Amino acid sequence: MKLHIRPWGMVITIGLLLSIALSGFAYAALGDRLLGRGSKGSEVTELQKKLVQLGYTVGTVDGKYGSKTEDAIRRFQKEHGLRVDGLAGTQTIKELKRLTGQSTNASGKAVGYKNIDTNLLARAVSAEARGEPYIGQVAVAAVILNRIKDPAFPKTVADIIYQPRAFSSVDDGQINLTPSASSIRAAQEAISGSDPSGGAVFFFNPAKTSNKYIWSRPQIKQIGNHMFTK
Amino acid sequence: MHRKFWIGALGLALLISLGWGWNEYRLAGEYRIAAENNNRRALNDFASHLDQVETDMAKGNVASNPAQKILYLSQVSSKSDAALKDFAQIPAQQTGLSYVGQFLTQSGDFTRTLAQRIAGGGTISAEEEKTLSDMHERLMPVNQQVQDLILRMDTEKLVWTDPDPSLRQRLGLGTQVAEAAADGSEAPSKSVRSGLDQLDASLQKLPPFSYTGEYATRVVEKPLGLPAGDVTRDQSLERAREFLNKAGYADASPEFAGESQGPLGGYIWNFKESYLEVSRQGGVITLYRDQRSIEPKTLSIEEASNKAKAILQSLGWQLAITSSEEFGSYVQFDAVVEKDGVRIYPDKVRLMIALDNGQLVGFDASPFYAFHHERIFPTKLTMEQAVRKLRPNFQVLESRLAVIAKSGNQEVYCYEFRGRYQGEEYLIYMNASNGAEEKIQRIIKTPRGEYLK
Repeated sequence: MKLHIRPWGMVITIGLLLSIALSGFAYAALGDRLLGRGSKGSEVTELQKKLVQLGYTVGTVDGKYGSKTEDAIRRFQKEHGLRVDGLAGTQTIKELKRLTGQSTNASGKAVGYKNIDTNLLARAVSAEARGEPYIGQVAVAAVILNRIKDPAFPKTVADIIYQPRAFSSVDDGQINLTPSASSIRAAQEAISGSDPSGGAVFFFNPAKTSNKYIWSRPQIKQIGNHMFTK
Repeated sequence: MHRKFWIGALGLALLISLGWGWNEYRLAGEYRIAAENNNRRALNDFASHLDQVETDMAKGNVASNPAQKILYLSQVSSKSDAALKDFAQIPAQQTGLSYVGQFLTQSGDFTRTLAQRIAGGGTISAEEEKTLSDMHERLMPVNQQVQDLILRMDTEKLVWTDPDPSLRQRLGLGTQVAEAAADGSEAPSKSVRSGLDQLDASLQKLPPFSYTGEYATRVVEKPLGLPAGDVTRDQSLERAREFLNKAGYADASPEFAGESQGPLGGYIWNFKESYLEVSRQGGVITLYRDQRSIEPKTLSIEEASNKAKAILQSLGWQLAITSSEEFGSYVQFDAVVEKDGVRIYPDKVRLMIALDNGQLVGFDASPFYAFHHERIFPTKLTMEQAVRKLRPNFQVLESRLAVIAKSGNQEVYCYEFRGRYQGEEYLIYMNASNGAEEKIQRIIKTPRGEYLK
């Protein structure tokens, strides 16, 4: 009996050893080596996920370091004061890991990302103000936050954004696209208190809107293509 | 042979497309029902919460025992919030200011304020009793009409929103319906939304409630801190150029980009990739933003903070930097007035420093100009008395006097305690004259800096 089992045991042991060795290859931790054009594997997948989390689109998260991933790395480097070389080296990966980490309380316990509202707000900004100057994006985020303070509107970011017919990007589904890096920044800035809109609760594109109600609101200022009104 | 083949192929294609069409139709039907159910749920929840608000408000009016009064008032406030949430989900043609929403926000806000006061041992004035019963009076017909809408959904098959004008009406062949709607007459509503809009219009005609609370109707704010006297467009250009010079652009020639209105309204100037606003009253720079591309960083946050201090000084500000937030290639600093050791948080100026060369890339003084004024501080508890009012085991790390903004346009003179309790760090603001806890903020460390929540 024992003799019959032993060969199988050998095979299983060898198989186990092999798979551990191979997984060591495949699951090398992000940051162990320099990643660049042509790199493949789970480290690249992890890298791509972190880029997407911060708003740098990479096409599909597929574990292949192609031109889109390189482009995203370049944009990330540019906007974070790093040397722009399109390679994910120690510094770039360290910065990516730091920025995608969770928040902690005073004694260092992780408390989650604490960015639920920021994320939704960034989606709205991305969908409503793509191509607008950055300050105009902050202003759009500020409009949504100003509505929370205004008694005539609902009281949470989600209630305001998903209020029927409040934003055209909700009706056409653009709100569900991954937010861009600049819109995430704009949302963060508005949440920390900036309001370039001057206290507006509406905005519209004068060239594209004939809605009488929106034109009747007292206008505050125009930034880029958006008119901001009371 | 050929013909038979084609007939067969076409027949098959027809069958496939019929099958596909039927499947799509069925799916669309399912989605329609799901959406309809959601809408009905929102409307029913809204009506039911509104009804509870009405009942509890009546009970809150009559209750005399503080415990009962607090109970009913808190229920009014939580049910008002719930009704507001439901109301915001009912289908609409467009979104504007809503007076039904405003009413619900204020009834929730007002009753919360009262409940908190009674819980803290305070009383309600006769005037507030009157406001509460006025709110109830106003709510009763609203509640009735909403219930009527629900009834009419069953008896008259009301739709959710008014249908778009038909092709016939658009061509001018049947304009009667459209005209009746346009003259604003109280024709019976054809849809749930138009019924709610009529309700909205009737509430709009009534005067707003006056009370103190977070969402009390805000009076038109006048900026408190703008210097006197208006400037012309040419003068504002001079101010803009002076500012740009200090921000690193010598001999700038900004282009006029329009005027802005409102309390801090003025002239907008653009230069290269920067945006700048100069107020009409006082001719001060309220907002500046440089969107230039920023090169790899050469400065640490510490060094940037020193640059920020230097720039504040060169612009003529005497402020203390209180917080920083990192945005990758630049850092944002908040600086506030510190007078006789008192931090005045409402008088805030925000700066952004680029980490490549330490230049100013963002500046926002609008909070300062909106709120800055001479303040008279009331008599206060001593620091020792205040510390004794903190809860046991709260380990104080820092303490100082401060002025913080409270709901609406109110301010409170406080002791600010930064300290630890059971592994968490907090900022506790204690009213300096009566020792009441005004505000508690929890400190969270995010990857980009400290965050107060």
